[in-house]
Amino acid sequence: MIVENGVPQPTQMSVSRRRRTQFLVLILIELALLVLLGLKYLQVEVVEDRIEVIGNQETVYFRNELVGDPLLMAFVVVAVALPFASQKLRREPMLLIGVQLTTISLIIFVLWPLGQVFVESFRAGHDSADFSLIQFEKLLQIPTVARATRNTLVLGITTAVLATAIGTLIAYTLTLTNVPWKRWLRILTIMPLVSPPFAVSFAFILLFGRRGLITYDLLHITQRNIYGPEGIILVQLISDTPLVILILSAVFASISRDLEEAAEDLGGRPLFILRTVTFPLVTPAILTAALLTFISSISDFGNPMLMGGGFQVLATQAFIQMVELFDLQLGAALAFLLVIPALIAFAIQHWIVSRRSYITVTSGARTGYIRALPGWIKWPLFGLTVFMAVITILLYGSIFVGAFVKAWGFDFTFTTGNLAGLVSALPQLENSLIVSVGSGFLGGAVGIFIAWLVSRQRFPGRRGLDFAATVMYAIPGTVIGIGYILAFNAAPYFWTGTFSIIIVAYAFRRLPVGLRTGIAAQQQIDPSLEEASLDLGATRARTFARITFPLLNRAFFAGVIYIFIRSMTDLSAAVFLNAGRTQLYTVRMFRVMITGTPSEAAAFAGLLIVIILIALGTLSKLTGKSFVDLFRVS
Amino acid sequence: MADFSTASIKLQNLAKHFGTNKAVDDVNLIVEEGTLVCLLGPSGCGKTTSLRMVAGFEEPTAGKIFIGQDDITNVPPYVRPTAMVFQSYALFPHMSVFENIGYGLKARRTPRSEIEPQVMEVVRLMELEGHERKSPPQLSGGQQQRVALARALVIRPKVLLFDEPLSNLDALLRVRMRGEIRSIQKRLGITSLYVTHDQEEAFSIADQVAIMNKGKIIQIGPPRELYRAPVDRFVAEFVGLSNIVPVEVLSSGSDGAAVRVFDQTIRSHRPPKNPKGDVAIVLRPEALRLSIDGENGVPATVLTFAFTGPLVRYNVRTADGILLVVDLHNPGPDQFFEEGTQVRLHLPERVPALLG
Repeated sequence: MIVENGVPQPTQMSVSRRRRTQFLVLILIELALLVLLGLKYLQVEVVEDRIEVIGNQETVYFRNELVGDPLLMAFVVVAVALPFASQKLRREPMLLIGVQLTTISLIIFVLWPLGQVFVESFRAGHDSADFSLIQFEKLLQIPTVARATRNTLVLGITTAVLATAIGTLIAYTLTLTNVPWKRWLRILTIMPLVSPPFAVSFAFILLFGRRGLITYDLLHITQRNIYGPEGIILVQLISDTPLVILILSAVFASISRDLEEAAEDLGGRPLFILRTVTFPLVTPAILTAALLTFISSISDFGNPMLMGGGFQVLATQAFIQMVELFDLQLGAALAFLLVIPALIAFAIQHWIVSRRSYITVTSGARTGYIRALPGWIKWPLFGLTVFMAVITILLYGSIFVGAFVKAWGFDFTFTTGNLAGLVSALPQLENSLIVSVGSGFLGGAVGIFIAWLVSRQRFPGRRGLDFAATVMYAIPGTVIGIGYILAFNAAPYFWTGTFSIIIVAYAFRRLPVGLRTGIAAQQQIDPSLEEASLDLGATRARTFARITFPLLNRAFFAGVIYIFIRSMTDLSAAVFLNAGRTQLYTVRMFRVMITGTPSEAAAFAGLLIVIILIALGTLSKLTGKSFVDLFRVS
Repeated sequence: MADFSTASIKLQNLAKHFGTNKAVDDVNLIVEEGTLVCLLGPSGCGKTTSLRMVAGFEEPTAGKIFIGQDDITNVPPYVRPTAMVFQSYALFPHMSVFENIGYGLKARRTPRSEIEPQVMEVVRLMELEGHERKSPPQLSGGQQQRVALARALVIRPKVLLFDEPLSNLDALLRVRMRGEIRSIQKRLGITSLYVTHDQEEAFSIADQVAIMNKGKIIQIGPPRELYRAPVDRFVAEFVGLSNIVPVEVLSSGSDGAAVRVFDQTIRSHRPPKNPKGDVAIVLRPEALRLSIDGENGVPATVLTFAFTGPLVRYNVRTADGILLVVDLHNPGPDQFFEEGTQVRLHLPERVPALLG
């Protein structure tokens, strides 16, 4: 007990002593956990080192080897130890544990699987530890790979440019002009988001394929067909444009009215203002949209398989090497080829955006007003938007009609017989729901928590954390699937083939969306609300649970539903990660599209769309947001 | 910037209705060439809507707008010879200071070789040298304000419009910037329409102030006149602090009136409009005096007082229970009255006008 000026100060002392004890206990518990982890995942095994033959006598030498992933273990130890360096975190054990857990999970579930892609592709073989370029030499000997690489890039760039251009124009039309039917056009143009991308391909084939309703039955075209690169570009455009529309709509709606009025006041005519003010201001969003569509295109597996007609891309090649031929190292090398253009695109986008300031310096600006545009600008834009909406109606209409006819293209009599095939797919549907709900909530929760950490707390390494949590959005799904297999397939994890690996992979793959939504929501909330709670004596944990989270729950559910939908419709990563027992609905549906009748497959696609629409409707009721607003998660 | 051509602004029966809400209701106003007129009023009084109609951002429901002799009512904003300084400054965040200022010239297809000297001329005028390459967020609030003004001046508008340009600045800077705006406006002799809700700002910057309320101009005149002789209670209360006390009219004629308040007789230069109705007097706090002793004066009690440095503001209550505010400037040591002190209140003998 300290006696200062003869006055004992018992409370002061006991508080600090109790805190010190708590702190020591925390360190001991963490050390114990690390040792347990080490014992479980690291083992010293006696392995055969070499055999020497002298005369006819064989001598076998053995050596001790550390089995498991000592490197990963070392990273985990560092992730546990580093936060202790911060005075601020040492003061608050709950915050410290939060930072440690986030860092560890980002290392294990993001950086490690990605790192494996790099490591494995430079390995000579499964057992070899040496650096080697042999995988790339092997790749060059496969003639299709060089072509697939070129095809992937051409496809990615074309789709990104066209989808971004069309999506931007449609977003502008729907946000800032006074065209009619906006409500319906908005819903219809983003409809393709509720189905897997390859459902677009499938519907396209129903309409324009060899026995397509329009090409064969109406126009009697038999000479030409839609299979090949042009067809893939078309369907990728339809499935990727909605994302562009969503991102750009939000940004167009937030442009300050003052800026355009100032330009007009200074003598700028409508087109001049569009060119010099409006579009430059949305450049960062346009680049983000271009990046996302590029990545979506190069990781697309379903559309090239269905529409390619022999047109090979890297995603399909990787599938063949990994899943059908089970050559892990070659698959990794292919994934490596995919991740390079993705990272280059990411770097370019980052570089351009950071060169200039796009932050509006004003506060309380009036936003989102309707521009009275001259008719010769307005009506062509309206025409483009209506065209996209009509295509959507045709595609989804054909799926639902197709599901209820006897044999599409031959016999259009009504039947419910196709639904019978769905019953056999109920286990896969259940699997998909388990995985999607799980990844939705996991990704949403982790996203909100990291958002709170990086936007409200100051601690060293905060930006690194933000980067690790964001990097996944530039990584093609194919690469993530391959990375998880490479990282967790073998001893000591044997994690592949379980539900949890798919849940975790999906959750961390879509984490950036949950994170960005959370950060945006966080910025709307006055920090003094949290400070008031802390000041009144609530702990960090209580403050987060009772103040922060309730204020953020809309953002949380928006993140959950977005990840849910993306997980329900994913195929690129699913083909690598699911196994017999955990087969996912999209994978089954994809097989039916290849092997079954069009009408059977239409029933599969229709059911998935209905499920997603129900999920969206529920969330719309839950949050009181309109259907379209639910997607506003850019 | 010698070759500035400027012109008057004329609003003729101008009206703007949003549904049934008459945001601007039959406004008539002339801003003489080279003068600065302030539209002053509470938020929602229609002052900003009027300004935006002059700029061309709102279409009038009725009425006409003239700049000089030209009827510009149906001319789009980008053709009008107006330039506006926005409340938010509206500086383009993706352009440098130089590009911001040169924007209007580019929009007018000024040859590239002429843009640079013209921009640099206003850069010097606004003392922004050395900041041309910076981007707006790197500037301080006052510098951003100067860029906004420079951007408006460089296109040589016939008319400058200001939409509460100083409301984003802190108090000290606000006073300095309004001095700068006024001196540049006077130096260039450019006709200006200025919107604000800050009475002190309006008075210190304007040749004429138009007080607006509920879409109408209530009174227009030089600041002195508005302060000394408000036409109604709204103006009296909006312009400065007032003690408004009901009076009994003793006599009223064209040369003035005599009224009775607190058993004292006060003369007014201007008679009330309706001597038979409710008539009140405006007693400005600084026109009242307090003393501790003496026979004349109205007996009153000091309730509270606040010392602000140059003045002491007293709240006093007269014997008949009326509360008054009294300001004593530059108070001497014998002029401090503690709370509860019985004092004598001295009224002015003459006031400029009566309400009612």
